[in-house]
Amino acid sequence: MFSGRVRVASIVEEPVIVEDERRRQLYRACVLPELDVLLRVAMTMTEQRADAEDLVQDTLLRAWRSINTFDGRHQRAWLLTIMRNAQINRHRRRRPELLDDPGRAAERDVTAAAGSAEDVVVGRTFDAVVDAALAALPVKFRQVVLLVDVDGLTYAEAADALGVPEGTVMSRLHRARRRIRDRLAAADLAPRRRRL
Amino acid sequence: MNGRLSWWRSMAGTKDMASCMQVARQLHAYLDGEIDDVAARRIARHLELCRRCGLEASTYTEIKSALVRRGEPVPDEALERLRRFGEDLVDQPRDESGDETG
Repeated sequence: MFSGRVRVASIVEEPVIVEDERRRQLYRACVLPELDVLLRVAMTMTEQRADAEDLVQDTLLRAWRSINTFDGRHQRAWLLTIMRNAQINRHRRRRPELLDDPGRAAERDVTAAAGSAEDVVVGRTFDAVVDAALAALPVKFRQVVLLVDVDGLTYAEAADALGVPEGTVMSRLHRARRRIRDRLAAADLAPRRRRL
Repeated sequence: MNGRLSWWRSMAGTKDMASCMQVARQLHAYLDGEIDDVAARRIARHLELCRRCGLEASTYTEIKSALVRRGEPVPDEALERLRRFGEDLVDQPRDESGDETG
């Protein structure tokens, strides 16, 4: 009777153990190698190191909980989408008044971040002007520039991270770079934009 | 613009070259490595021959380089903490198995 019970238990548990091991392997193979990129992107999305680390932790936890639904392909896109959702939830918890439109906070930050043209001209080196121009960009433009140019994401990955279509990533990126270029031109550090 | 392009094409002896308009449309995607090899070759060919488009490309390349220089390295200690967090997560007995959608 005792041995019978053991046999039944092993038949039921064995697939569960195998499945658990498969989940662990999938997680180690697909999630942990992306930590560097996740932290980089989180630093761009939160602009605070401590928040960035929390956001990645949240993402790792959510990824582990939903690993059963992951097919093992395009892990970066999958993780960036998880991170975006985690970020939205965190944002809602902190700023409940933005429940309907989390993007509004970003819009409000624009004016705070914008520097005057004089500020930019003061920066004498190319890099200093680029830096000032970047700081003066609206948040949603700045994030795209940072994700693609600094963090090295593809357009598709940046689209996943931000939850916008790839075309939106491209248009924001072009406009952002043009604004940076215009600031450089104003400081005589780049040729003026030509018109075709 | 078309007259100048025809002249370049005749000088270069090739039709395998993008126009100024196509370059303007695809320059950022080209610089970001987001277009296919054939389109990239056509644009590269144009940029070699067209001074104005070449200048445009080098301006944006410099901006991209400045932005890359701006990137901070990811803090090692934070990365290590997160790696440990991830490892601990998968090593602990399975208790929270809800299929949460990302």
